Amino acid sequence: MAKKTYDLLFKLLLIGDSGVGKTCILFRFSDDAFTSTFISTIGIDFKIKTVELRGKKIKLQIWDTAGQERFHTITTSYYRGAMGIMLVYDITNEKSFENIVKWLRNIDEHANEDVEKMILGNKCDMSDKRVVNKERGEAIAREHGIRFMETSAKSNINIERAFCELAEAILDKTSGRESAENPERVVIDRKNNDKAPGYNKCCA
Amino acid sequence: MSIFKARVKEFEDIFSKDVIDLKELRQLTFNGVPDVQSFRALSWKLLLNYLGPKRNTWATTLAQKRALYRQFIVELVLPPGHNGDNENDDDELRGVALQDHPLSEGPESKWNTFFNDNEFLLQIDKDVRRLCPDISFFQQPTDYPCDIVVHSKGERRLHQRVVPSVLSSANVERKGLGMTKINLITKRSAENYEAMEEGQEAHWEVVQRILFLYAKLNPGQGYVQGMNEIVGPIYFVMASDPDLKFREHAEADCFFCFTALMGEIRDFFIKTLDDAEGGIKCMMAKLSNMLKSKDLAIYEHLRSQELHPQYYSFRWLTLLLSQEFPLPDVVRIWDSVFSDEQRFDFLIKICCSMILIQREAILENDFASNVKLLQNYPPIDINVVLTFAVSLT
Repeated sequence: MAKKTYDLLFKLLLIGDSGVGKTCILFRFSDDAFTSTFISTIGIDFKIKTVELRGKKIKLQIWDTAGQERFHTITTSYYRGAMGIMLVYDITNEKSFENIVKWLRNIDEHANEDVEKMILGNKCDMSDKRVVNKERGEAIAREHGIRFMETSAKSNINIERAFCELAEAILDKTSGRESAENPERVVIDRKNNDKAPGYNKCCA
Repeated sequence: MSIFKARVKEFEDIFSKDVIDLKELRQLTFNGVPDVQSFRALSWKLLLNYLGPKRNTWATTLAQKRALYRQFIVELVLPPGHNGDNENDDDELRGVALQDHPLSEGPESKWNTFFNDNEFLLQIDKDVRRLCPDISFFQQPTDYPCDIVVHSKGERRLHQRVVPSVLSSANVERKGLGMTKINLITKRSAENYEAMEEGQEAHWEVVQRILFLYAKLNPGQGYVQGMNEIVGPIYFVMASDPDLKFREHAEADCFFCFTALMGEIRDFFIKTLDDAEGGIKCMMAKLSNMLKSKDLAIYEHLRSQELHPQYYSFRWLTLLLSQEFPLPDVVRIWDSVFSDEQRFDFLIKICCSMILIQREAILENDFASNVKLLQNYPPIDINVVLTFAVSLT
């Protein structure tokens, strides 16, 4: 048996339409690299990355799912165990944004009630092809009380930040549950968090 | 005589007969087809029942099927208002234009169908551009482009239909002192997949057409992700046939071989059949049961880690292992899989062997390392796996 080299284990899930860049986001985060030539994900894929948050070693176990409807029976079985879900759309693809509502419904149906969610508008480097402006992404996130960020796996914008914020939110919840030493942490001021002026870089 | 030469001789002999002995062909192909002459492409055509065992029927079958395929292209690929022949179709064109037009919403409207097609075409487009990215084959131009498609100023190219239609407006940027900078951006997304010149087309465009036609002709099933990985190796084999007379018709021949193979594995791609016999869950259960009977320790170990078979075997089985190994190895695996009369028993044996070969590592590893190992199978001599699989009774 491998020795336990972490303090906490968080299970995360990436969902969203096919081709929005889920695999690229994950690859950027886990391997800090980008390639535009990924084979399509069939079923479910898996990556691990350990980050350090507030002095705790947190192992992120991240599941990457296939986007197409056919795979939903396979992929929704992973929702239940997930502590955090990244919902990705492509800012150059209107349909993928419209489907966010559908994906949110999927989460409601299959995931734990207290799962931490985050919406990502990916490919924000492709400004010349943008069809979904940032305000619309922010609006839908606000409407559902979910965090939101625009990302680019290609230009490495906000990728690490997105994962760390999601992990931090889960950590807040977990530590809030485990001990009452820091009860105010459980309530997060999302507005402040969104702008993140003093964002503390958590992942080394 | 070297073993290789002996094998070539065996294939020469079998294919020189008037009636091919399929049983013998299966035995030979099972052990791998030498990469010379048309042996592999021909074996696959026979084993997938595209060609019958009687040699004297081949010419007729091929001619008929290839003509039929061309008909499919004319009827289903070309936009409404075209009938394929560039000349003397003015009258007909006018006839169509009178009853039908792009804004028609009538269920009979060809234009309406045309726009509906674009939905699944978009998905195909994303996937064929992601086919075998580790080799350049699919980005290369084919020597045998489809003439009625490539001389159309792009309008008959399927992917042209689904190019994101962002109106290109000039980006006007005001610089200090009233100077205005205008950017006209015409950046392409994936450089390797740029449109070919008039008269040329890349292999991925051909594969796109095959998948599009398959989806059109099988509307109950349509296009499901992963089908690209099934058609890929077949097309690769047909389109690199050393015999140019065959290679020329790779597209049509591949279409029918792919259709035949899909006839056998179609159920893997249909969600509602997941639990049915022949569905993917049933296949995964077969693998799981075999593993249990061959090596209880490893079975129990994976179970105790809650490493469910679908984490790895869903993809293995659905795609007939085409995403697990490099293309030449996949082709070699498929020689054996196609020779298996009890399809897909041998495939399950191969999958089981892949796990058993990694026995020591799996028993050592924690959950995460095991998922990684099974989802990214380590490089291995494919013959080791196949020999192991043969030894499983």
